[in-house]
Amino acid sequence: MEKPNLSRRGFLASSVAVGAVAMTSGWPTRSHAEMGKVLRLRIDGDNNVLDPGYMVGGTEIEAQKQCLPFLAEYVREGGTFTWRPTHYVTKLEQRDPTHIDFELVEGLKWSNGYGTLKASDVKFSYERMKESDWSGYFDAMDHVEVTGELTGTIVLNKPFAPFLMVTLCHGPGAIVCEQAVKDAGGKFTNDFPAVCGPYTYSATPGQRVVFELNPEWTGPEPGFERVEANVITEVKASELAFDAGELDCTELGSDTLARYINDMPEDTAVTTAGELQYMWMGMNTEHPKLQDIRVRQALQHAVDVDSILQGAYSGTTSKSHGIICPGLLGQRHETGYSYDPAKARALLDEAGASGLELTLRTLNNQERMLTAQIIQANLAAVGVTLKVLPLDSGPFWEMGQESKGDMWKDLELWIMRFGTTPDPYEATQWFVSDQVGVWNWERWTSEEFDRLYNEGIAETDTAKREAIYIRMQEIMEETGAYVWINHEPESYAHTADITINAAPSGELNYRRFAKA
Amino acid sequence: MLIYLTKRLGLSAAVIGLVVLVLFSLLHLIPGDPATIALGPRATPEAIARYAAKMHLDEPVWMQFLIYVGNALTGDLGVDVFSDRPVTQIINERIGFTLALVCTGMGWAVILGIPLGCLAAVKPNSVLDRVTGVLSVGTIAVPSFLVSIWALLIFAVQLRWLPAIGAGEPGDMHDQALHLILPAFAIGLAWVGYLARMVRASMLEVMGETYIRSARAFGLTPRKVVFGYALRVAILPTITLIGMGFGGLISSTVFAEIIFARPGIGKLIFDAVMARNFPIVQGAVLVATALYIIVVLLSDLLIAWFDPRVRETL
Repeated sequence: MEKPNLSRRGFLASSVAVGAVAMTSGWPTRSHAEMGKVLRLRIDGDNNVLDPGYMVGGTEIEAQKQCLPFLAEYVREGGTFTWRPTHYVTKLEQRDPTHIDFELVEGLKWSNGYGTLKASDVKFSYERMKESDWSGYFDAMDHVEVTGELTGTIVLNKPFAPFLMVTLCHGPGAIVCEQAVKDAGGKFTNDFPAVCGPYTYSATPGQRVVFELNPEWTGPEPGFERVEANVITEVKASELAFDAGELDCTELGSDTLARYINDMPEDTAVTTAGELQYMWMGMNTEHPKLQDIRVRQALQHAVDVDSILQGAYSGTTSKSHGIICPGLLGQRHETGYSYDPAKARALLDEAGASGLELTLRTLNNQERMLTAQIIQANLAAVGVTLKVLPLDSGPFWEMGQESKGDMWKDLELWIMRFGTTPDPYEATQWFVSDQVGVWNWERWTSEEFDRLYNEGIAETDTAKREAIYIRMQEIMEETGAYVWINHEPESYAHTADITINAAPSGELNYRRFAKA
Repeated sequence: MLIYLTKRLGLSAAVIGLVVLVLFSLLHLIPGDPATIALGPRATPEAIARYAAKMHLDEPVWMQFLIYVGNALTGDLGVDVFSDRPVTQIINERIGFTLALVCTGMGWAVILGIPLGCLAAVKPNSVLDRVTGVLSVGTIAVPSFLVSIWALLIFAVQLRWLPAIGAGEPGDMHDQALHLILPAFAIGLAWVGYLARMVRASMLEVMGETYIRSARAFGLTPRKVVFGYALRVAILPTITLIGMGFGGLISSTVFAEIIFARPGIGKLIFDAVMARNFPIVQGAVLVATALYIIVVLLSDLLIAWFDPRVRETL
């Protein structure tokens, strides 16, 4: 056998040489992007359908905000979300409860030679939405009246106070180029037929979306010349990429948010966009075990929500007192019940419900499972045996719907989370009488609630609207069918030298990012 | 050889047929309405109706299966539920990234694992053999997703020597190669151990054969004996292992592609499962399975070509 002829000295010299070459030439140290030039972000998946009428939502709305005109945009005033006209309009006014007048800025060009933005584009965009998958957002709109090349009026078929906030500021409020969409066959999918915004759009499926300065844009310049949105499905991978200096901004999971709050990394800041999720434990008021309101009230007193917020969410979420989320008109700041195991036991005794056995159904993700386990322990402490049944999203979302079978009859308790838009009306719509067996799985009805729902939609006086929505939540709570849990935030970590902008529901608006 | 080839091809086709059946059944076995599962709980009735028509959900199940098989045979794996893009096109965009990752991961494992196994076998029970043994078992025991996370934390987050996410700038080979290093290291590490152990065991068996003693007696150099005679025979089971390894690595890439946010078949399947985008799941799993079967078939044919006795075993 021949001995290898590489000496120890030779080996060390070769290793050092190879290492030095590799370090100096090919393996760059990662660093944050050059300020003012490139902004690097995460999107959680490919944008499959950019057409506002047929989109899935989420990151597609982020792309629309950079490339398409909107009449209104969200703004936070103090602790409350409201709207303001965008730089696409010189006027946006609600003339009366059913007429919204607008005037577009002159000379804003569509790309690909499609001319300038006109009021007829607004008419085309909004009237086609009435036939689209997102038609619900335009139920209250009758038509758009074009009164000049740049002016028009949105005519509602009934007073609908949330229209500006819910429809015009959100993705469905995007305006498309009439001629370009017609040329594309009436719909478009993964590319815009024409853009009118600070950025152009290009995507490499599975990898990234790149927004580059639109040379034809004459409106306000954005803070960054180029935005690279990398497709990163998992938020954990995105957090690591941010830690590695490869992203300038990322969404945070609840555990990482807790870590950052306790020990903020150098040159990093955290911004919370909004908390438009509301989670509760629901009870089926028609189930034989839960028909007695005293049993339901006992469960309200038995669950220690503060323990859930700490144990399952590391203290990163706001405690909920109803379905109206923080920052919205009508948010409650206290509940009519409190954690009181002694009172819970007394109510159960009074109702003759000793030895009660119940089943709690929940989606099978980590936070919900932890929440369910804490509730299980809380109920055990008052003598209720709770079986936790984790479910995949398919059966979970069908279990209370009468149209999907008889599962709703066996439904006892469940953990539910809904998301909403920045207006209180949307959260309340799922609990009116005609939603029993659809989304009102608690299966109660109230004439007062239904009446207030209609009044809330038509009312434009802020104070009166607020009173309406607070009363509606009181009605819900008085049924005993709800234990309010929390509002999960949409939080972002970013380098301290930039300021970020996000819609209350979490969609980033890159054009409003800026150097700090 | 022709009979063997025909039998193996028939067997492979049967396996693929079975996979198609299982994949198709998946959509109907999962609890819940397929359209609601795919489009989400608040999909409008119009969207549900459109989806049902597109997926032929209004046809009897057996007819749906025949339509699916018929389309698959012509290379039509359906369309993406959300974007309406052909599944075949989406898979074509991603498969290159997965093949590059699998080949690089297995490539460096072969380059390191086979010589290590040979060295360990040539000097059994030496320090080198023992160190190789411990390292091999160690690398086999550590799951690839853990290696991925640690490699990312050390080399990307702490040292910042290598990129953490993505596949690199399109068209920039140097950047793409840099983005390949960590994921390839993560998925290939365990295979260094597997291959070293397999080669060592085979080599020890072969090194005791009389023809090796004869070769030595003729005065051939140890290098010639080991690499020219012993390894050529001992490599046969390793070829099978490498073939199986490609299949294993295609599934290992799921973790690597998710952790390193690389495009690829694994991440495509994961994303599609999360979005309940069943045409993509079915198409991508079918292609991944077909790839696995093709690689195993090739390795079996290679062995049958090297060793005629194998042809009689089927």
